[in-house]
Amino acid sequence: MADTKSGRFASSSAAISPLVQSPENLECKNFQEYLRTRQTPETLEKLYNYPPICLAVYRELPEIARQFVIRILFVDQPVPQAVVTSWGAQRVAKEQMEATSCLTALCVWRVTAIPGGLAAWELSPTFKKSVRQVLLGGGKPWAMTNTLDKDSKPRDITFLDSYAMSRWRCVLHYMVGTGGRNGGTDAEAISPDAVRILLHANLMKRDERDGITITRQGFQFLLLDTRAQVWHFMLQYLETCEERGISLPECLSMLFQLSFSTLGRDYSSEGMNSQMLTFLQHLREFGLVFQRKRKEGRFYPTRLALNVTNKDAAQASTTADEERMQERGYIVVETNYRVYAYTDSQLQVAVLGLFTELLYRFPNLVVGVLTRDSVRQALRGGITAEQIVSYLEQYAHPNMKLVESAIQSKSCLPPTVVDQIKLWELERNRFTYTEGVVYNQFLSQNDFVTLRDYAQSINMLVWQNERTRTMVVQKNGHDDVKRYWKKYSKSGG
Amino acid sequence: MVNVMKGVLVECDPAMKQFLLHLDEKLALGRKFIIQDLDESHLFISTDIVEVLQARVDELMDRISFPLHEKDP
Repeated sequence: MADTKSGRFASSSAAISPLVQSPENLECKNFQEYLRTRQTPETLEKLYNYPPICLAVYRELPEIARQFVIRILFVDQPVPQAVVTSWGAQRVAKEQMEATSCLTALCVWRVTAIPGGLAAWELSPTFKKSVRQVLLGGGKPWAMTNTLDKDSKPRDITFLDSYAMSRWRCVLHYMVGTGGRNGGTDAEAISPDAVRILLHANLMKRDERDGITITRQGFQFLLLDTRAQVWHFMLQYLETCEERGISLPECLSMLFQLSFSTLGRDYSSEGMNSQMLTFLQHLREFGLVFQRKRKEGRFYPTRLALNVTNKDAAQASTTADEERMQERGYIVVETNYRVYAYTDSQLQVAVLGLFTELLYRFPNLVVGVLTRDSVRQALRGGITAEQIVSYLEQYAHPNMKLVESAIQSKSCLPPTVVDQIKLWELERNRFTYTEGVVYNQFLSQNDFVTLRDYAQSINMLVWQNERTRTMVVQKNGHDDVKRYWKKYSKSGG
Repeated sequence: MVNVMKGVLVECDPAMKQFLLHLDEKLALGRKFIIQDLDESHLFISTDIVEVLQARVDELMDRISFPLHEKDP
């Protein structure tokens, strides 16, 4: 937990004490973090054999990194590091550093030595080959091809959207345990495979007494927006796919082909191997693709599958459509902390119940109130104030957006309520604890300054005061500092 | 000669620091726990007291907060 990177005293606030038992929170990784943390250089190399994956990686790179890649893509020899550095002005040095380390971490390029002893960058040959293929064509045909004949009963975007949402909601309903009771088509049970993924992802757990129940992470998952949910779920799926005998690179490659496809177009599954057909059936279950019949060689990607990785870009371009697709807002929050939710869905009521105290229940309306206790309960459960606020914003009733204050500020919720929720969170964190070692009673100012500067140079200094000659060093830095001090005092100071 | 002590650095606002000083002085947690008073927003305290302290602070916060609205009977 110790934050060793940040500067002088900043680390004291950043380092959360391991003493305090913080509950394990839901980690949402983006694609890059996923590759960096879950994959070894060898497996990355395997992944780079698939052009769609490389394209996705390329798209996710920082802007400067993309420049670098394109500049050296067609250079058939390593490029000296000094040359690469000289491409950017001094003032963007920091961004350049980030780009460089990002490319290194993803094994997109590596260091080699060129004659003359200079260090140079060289693109990974596999990556280079795949990206060139993406740009210029060639190579093996993609598994997903356009259909040749026209669909006799084509499906339009509205249909696909509602289909996708109803499938996805099945998974969510299952999580809050309302699947069976609702009746209707929504209540179709989800497959054992999906359950296994939920269990693996720690979103649900098997309980001796109650069977399968939702976990803390599961609740946090419910508060995410749909796109983030799908991405998180797919990542977890990928982790389990190997043990099901489906190859990870192929799945990932397929997923990206889908994400680069066009909404409302049909594609043919001809030429896919049996593993990929299984994968397609799973995607169909979660609503990422639509297929009329299991055996039909034609499928439509839905909005859930498009732009799975790139949250920001997707949001910018499809916000309007998205709003149409997601159910309209149904929550009204008043300045007196009352919450009115126009809904009859068990799922929405269950989610709302996480952080509000529910008062009344009517056929199409639920009334609750945000109290300190109810919000604290949620906070203790590991849900953050930010998540609560963004959930309320996301599903705010359209009328909430017409209020004058909402037009002026960017949030449509009453500012008092938003502030109070945040204050309730802050109130729990009035202290920051850092385990450490205090050094005091230095005999001379010189001794103090020397030791302090050393501690600072290894980024272990948490607090210091020159007047009282007192300093606090992080616990894990104590050994180093002690050793340094021994050496220093032996040499006669 | 340098004096070295292990413990936990607490960073908080001045008001909360006064509360901690008060607890220390009144032996409210059964004993003294502040090792060194560093400055107006920092204290150095012993490690084993942290959990008790947190419970105590939570209690305080509960005591000084009032429900914002009445619930219906």
